[in-house]
Amino acid sequence: MSKAVALPDVLREPLLTDGPMSIGGLDDQVLSATERTPPRAWFIALAITITAMTIGFGFIGYTIATGIGAWGNNSPVFWAFDIINFVFWVGIGHAGTLISAILFLFRMRWRNAIARFAEAMTIFAVMCAGIFPLIHVGRPWLAFWLFPYPNQRAIWTNFRSPLLWDVFAVSTYFSVSLMFWYLGLVPDIASMRDRTTNKWKKPIYTFLALGWHGSGRHWQHYEKAYLLLAGLATGLVLSVHSVVSFDFATSVVPGWHMTIFPPYFVAGAIFAGFSMVVIVLVVVRETMDLKNLITIRHLDVMNKVILGMSCLMGYSYAMEGFTAWYSQNTYLHHTFLNIIGGSYGWAGWLTIACNIGIPQLLWFKKCRTSYFWMILVAISVTIGMWFERFVIIVISLSQDFLPSAWRLYKPTMVDFGILLGSFGLFFTLVLIFARVLPVIATTEVKGILPGAQPETGGHHE
Amino acid sequence: MSKAFAVLGLFDSADALMKAIPKVKARKLGRLETYTPYPIHGMDDALELRRSPLGGMVLVMGVIGALTALGFQYWISAIDYPIVTGGKAPWSWEAFIPIMFEVTVLFATFTAGLGMLLLLNKLPFFGHPVLSAKAMRAITRDRFALAVEADPELDAEAAKAALKDAGAQDIEVLDTPEQTPFLTSDFILRTLGGIFVACLVSGFVMFWAIKLFPVLPPMSHMQDQPRLSAQQASTFFKDGRGMRMPVTGTVARGYLPSATGTQEEATALPNPLPRTPEVFAQGKAAFTNRCAVCHGAIGNGMGSLTAAYGAKPANLQAQQFRDYADGKLYWVIVNGKNAMPGHAADLDENQRWAVVHYVRALQRAQNAKDEDLR
Ligand code: HEC
Repeated sequence: MSKAVALPDVLREPLLTDGPMSIGGLDDQVLSATERTPPRAWFIALAITITAMTIGFGFIGYTIATGIGAWGNNSPVFWAFDIINFVFWVGIGHAGTLISAILFLFRMRWRNAIARFAEAMTIFAVMCAGIFPLIHVGRPWLAFWLFPYPNQRAIWTNFRSPLLWDVFAVSTYFSVSLMFWYLGLVPDIASMRDRTTNKWKKPIYTFLALGWHGSGRHWQHYEKAYLLLAGLATGLVLSVHSVVSFDFATSVVPGWHMTIFPPYFVAGAIFAGFSMVVIVLVVVRETMDLKNLITIRHLDVMNKVILGMSCLMGYSYAMEGFTAWYSQNTYLHHTFLNIIGGSYGWAGWLTIACNIGIPQLLWFKKCRTSYFWMILVAISVTIGMWFERFVIIVISLSQDFLPSAWRLYKPTMVDFGILLGSFGLFFTLVLIFARVLPVIATTEVKGILPGAQPETGGHHE
Repeated sequence: MSKAFAVLGLFDSADALMKAIPKVKARKLGRLETYTPYPIHGMDDALELRRSPLGGMVLVMGVIGALTALGFQYWISAIDYPIVTGGKAPWSWEAFIPIMFEVTVLFATFTAGLGMLLLLNKLPFFGHPVLSAKAMRAITRDRFALAVEADPELDAEAAKAALKDAGAQDIEVLDTPEQTPFLTSDFILRTLGGIFVACLVSGFVMFWAIKLFPVLPPMSHMQDQPRLSAQQASTFFKDGRGMRMPVTGTVARGYLPSATGTQEEATALPNPLPRTPEVFAQGKAAFTNRCAVCHGAIGNGMGSLTAAYGAKPANLQAQQFRDYADGKLYWVIVNGKNAMPGHAADLDENQRWAVVHYVRALQRAQNAKDEDLR
């Protein structure tokens, strides 16, 4: 056989790590984080997030004890922070599944280093999201009524309602993400099991690793399962935010009733999710000595995705305006004019600036690789995406068909407190995760290190 | 000495492992198995593994999930609880697609994940001999093990030699673990006892939870409403009553005072009901139920009462009553007269007037003119 033609440098896939890395060294670097005592900064950060979380849960307790009259929601704005936060957090979750499933199917091997963290963030974000519909129903202890189960009232749920689809979509999403995440963790936990000498951790890891011992036959089924799960999760991740968007799109409220909503919501979700992942990865990379594994190239690629999504968002916003104009519908005209010039016009412009304006900085390589600029963009996208949901929900509702019913919406302290609490919960879970489980999917990364696979072994069809 | 389960040799790279497999395989000593920290390309072929059946399992379960969701939604929405919402027909299958999709994915993923772990890989299992091998620490880290396993017998010495020739280091013989009887009577008793205690405790907890839960705030908020019931005292109003008295002259529904005053004064009351078959039917029913017993079926005063009833019901066929104004008949029904009891409580406004029409019909029937017969 002729010698392989050497690829020019630009076409060759760059190394996935900075500097040489041995298979065992990877374990030492990543898994040892769970063995060290965390630095003081970690404790300070945890104290802050737990405080935020406690404040949030305090306000949730207050809401449940007094009723949702404690919030600013009132006719006609019956959906406000509760639903905004729900959509916001579900959206954040999308990055994880996208990275772990879709990029896996596309064989984007750089994803291996960041998949674990992104998946964990998905799960935590969906947990945060799940709180909001629960408290939004007002009597969370009756929330099980959302599920179709035979009951003595002899009534069933309405399967034609997008709100019920949402119940199914989000609960499926959570279970599937959890399954996916856990499956990826099993071999890593096995590694930790065999590594640790701590007599408390050993039985826990032993239990969680389920007796995994990496036999060839097990790996065969494992890889198959992982591939199947990736395929299924891909369909799911596209469906979840589409279903969330149906909550709006299938109603008749001007500004909601649009066919562009499902893809528009999915793009927005990936957009927001990637930004959150960038923020967290930068912190993890710096504080946990993972600079050689989560490289600046990873961040660069992530930022490119953010830029692409930002352009998609710009297209969607333009389409919203076009639909409003082309529909010849007075109510839709009014809603659209409200977004750019009404009482909440500032929110509309803030959304456009944060989601479309500022991310354009990422066209420059310097911004894609500099912490300052990428964090600036990521934070502005997070803010922008929150306000986008504010714009969609509050502006559309506050002035719809009946002018005599119009009213401006003002959030209360309780609304802000719960929002703060959800951030507290999210980051508390992220911080704990970073110190308890391997933040990088070591098994997956091991398999793509140079020399990890046999040169001759097996024939690739 | 117990029987050898496997002989295990370690390699430093995946490449070395893959090269060793055919060499050891050629000696046909037993079942070959590898233990590696991560999946290795080409291992399926090297070990001659059959294709994983997982794909088929997932497909089947996915289809079952879709059909379950469709059938369930169909049965609920179109058969058991057919309520029209949003103007959609009970069987509006388009609306069932999102949930069908979700349930399909749910069934499929759980089959893929749990099917792989529990069914195909038979995990969780903590007793696999390799887990207690000295090599395990290295296997989940960075070394690659090739094992010759008993199938069912194993010549440990030959296997050792084969592995050594293939370049393996740290060769280790793993013993078949002692089979300890699992279901001893002691174990069964303890388990049953544990289940019994758990049931008892959770039963009590549930009992009290269900009793207490709905009466604690905020769950009790629906029962406990800050409003005043009728007849309750309150300091809010000057008169100290919680309820407001109706404005003077207010009449309760259905209690409109009628035919007050004397029979003569009622003469002018007109019969508000039209003479329709329905009204006559209503009047007939009321008359038969209420009046016929005293006044007789045709109103001639010959009721079915015996002589023990002292009074003499009027003969409504008499000329006197044929000349009576409708209002006067009505007045009698409401107020009664002498021995005749009032029927205000038994017959409502419409029924009273319907009876009046019917009495008129009875009177005409008994004094029919020739043209009535035509
Ligand atoms: C308990 C037996 C009884 C029943 C039932 C009864 N009546 Fe009479 N009714 C009498 C008696 C007795 C008199 C005669 C009263 C009197 O002495 O003037 C009378 C008298 C009358 C008179 C004549 C009143 C007058 O102005 O002199 C009318 C009309 C009459 N009844 C209609 C009815 C109608 C219509 C009903 C059915 C709704 C009815 N009655 C039910 C016992 C009855």
